[in-house]
Amino acid sequence: MKTSNTVQPGPDWAIQIHGLTKAYGKVRALRGIDLQVQRGEIFGFLGPNGAGKTTTIRCLLDMIRPDGGKALLLGLNPQAEPVAVQARTGYLPGEMQYYDNFTVERQLRFFSDMRNGRVEWRYVGELAERLSLDMKLQIKNLSKGNKQKIGVVQALMHRPELLLLDEPTSGLDPLMQQEVMNLLRQANTDGTTIFFSSHIMSEVESVAARVAIIRAGEIVEVAETSSLTRRTLNRLTVRFKRPVEIGELSSQPGVQILSQDGGNLITLQVAGDMEPIVRALGSLPVLDLETERPSLEEVFMTYYQK
Amino acid sequence: MNRLWTTFRYTFLSLLGQVLGWGSGLAVYGLLIVAMYEKMGAQKEQLEQLIAGYPPEFLAFFGGDANSLLTPAGFLGMYAFSMMPVIVGIFAVIVGSGLIANDEERGRLDLILAHPIGRNAFFWGRSLGVLTAASAILFLGWLGFCLLLGSSSLGFTWGEMALPFLSLFAQTLVYTTLALLLSMLLPSRSLAAMTSGVVMVASYFISSLAFLDEKMEAVSKLMPYHYFQMTLSFNEVNLAWLFGLLAAGLVMTGIAWLRFIRRDIRLSGEGSWRLPFLQKSHKVY
Repeated sequence: MKTSNTVQPGPDWAIQIHGLTKAYGKVRALRGIDLQVQRGEIFGFLGPNGAGKTTTIRCLLDMIRPDGGKALLLGLNPQAEPVAVQARTGYLPGEMQYYDNFTVERQLRFFSDMRNGRVEWRYVGELAERLSLDMKLQIKNLSKGNKQKIGVVQALMHRPELLLLDEPTSGLDPLMQQEVMNLLRQANTDGTTIFFSSHIMSEVESVAARVAIIRAGEIVEVAETSSLTRRTLNRLTVRFKRPVEIGELSSQPGVQILSQDGGNLITLQVAGDMEPIVRALGSLPVLDLETERPSLEEVFMTYYQK
Repeated sequence: MNRLWTTFRYTFLSLLGQVLGWGSGLAVYGLLIVAMYEKMGAQKEQLEQLIAGYPPEFLAFFGGDANSLLTPAGFLGMYAFSMMPVIVGIFAVIVGSGLIANDEERGRLDLILAHPIGRNAFFWGRSLGVLTAASAILFLGWLGFCLLLGSSSLGFTWGEMALPFLSLFAQTLVYTTLALLLSMLLPSRSLAAMTSGVVMVASYFISSLAFLDEKMEAVSKLMPYHYFQMTLSFNEVNLAWLFGLLAAGLVMTGIAWLRFIRRDIRLSGEGSWRLPFLQKSHKVY
């Protein structure tokens, strides 16, 4: 790996990525990723299929070798010390396949053995129970959702310091999605750093403190989830006591009139700071005011429409 | 060491069914062949007439001529050992090509290697597992050939009967490691299995044809089968041939290992029949 040595291991960082590049032939999957994830945080990694989420995660686990740049996990270089990194990390791949002739229990014991048996089997049982996963079933008879549950259990079973999850709730029904999110929150409370990719905005929004948005192999935004949804677009619906002249409102910076109903009811979209529009509204006979925050999905789409 | 042992244990256990299947098959075949020799001995005159009627090209494929086939070593060579590298080679090619590529193409390797095993321990654990499985198959086969030796007029001891199996082990190692190496170099497991299978069959035919046509001799020297000491080894083992094959197997394993520890692990569905230079588009995840 051609690396720059600008990344110094720091005790506060669970993941440090600098200038990570990877190409598959002529396709540049990663174009210089820079990212830092603090220890103890839940970090969402957003992007549509093909944006480079899985490639990034697989580089972090030494499944694929980057062409350039450097990554550190828990202060360790995964290319130089893969076993040390993997011992402290839990991984849930995006697509999972198991040995079809194994039972769930045998498959999980296999994963436990791959960790030198350093797994508390009672905890495995608890995880399986919370996810309603029958350990006696043969894997070839399992649905996609149940196979996903095995993946979740094996990722959590050794209480890792860092979890790398690629679409963790894929294939699960809404109740189980909720339960998996609860497990992740609990693991995080116990000190586990969680880095997970997803394209389900609501789940990222509900658990992640910070998010990064990746587009065509480049990070286009890293921000706190709340600030990301706050700072971009806001929608205002204003009802006036009597019809008003909207010229002053529409001339405010970042304001766009979305609809107007006889001058008494106006819907506006405000980009950025709300202060100018609030000042302008102060001089008008406002009867009622409703603000609506955009979902993370809407924010996400603004990056993809750029 | 624990990591290597765990991988070895799982690999060998996953091959246990094949060990029992192939091993018991060879053992039963051995029992039948040794028992059949006594029957053949009782009908020696008819057998001589029958063999005299065979075309020499046919006999050459079984590694002998009309005279040698009536000796105990010639009999075993013709009826038991001449085809053995091809028969056991089928196991070698299937298992060797799938040793790592099978899990990789089915999308399991990603998750396995995310555990603290390490590519080195994983590779050598699996390689030792398949080596042990091949040894166990040949051991069971050897037992089958030996069990009736005491009551047979073949005149071989158990130790002497082990010698062609040593050579057979070297053949098996070469085809297993060739298939393993090709699975690391070629874009799919099936392509690796097919290529190593073609090499194995071509090796058998070219080496057999070399008995008839001296012009084939030079080519046959490049083929593993040329160095198979089926019944020659009853008299004297050619250690240079034996260790030469073992060394070739080790070299191929070493190259496969270097390739494995340096390359990207593919995701499920990335293996294909297309060669890299023919690929027009790449999947990005």
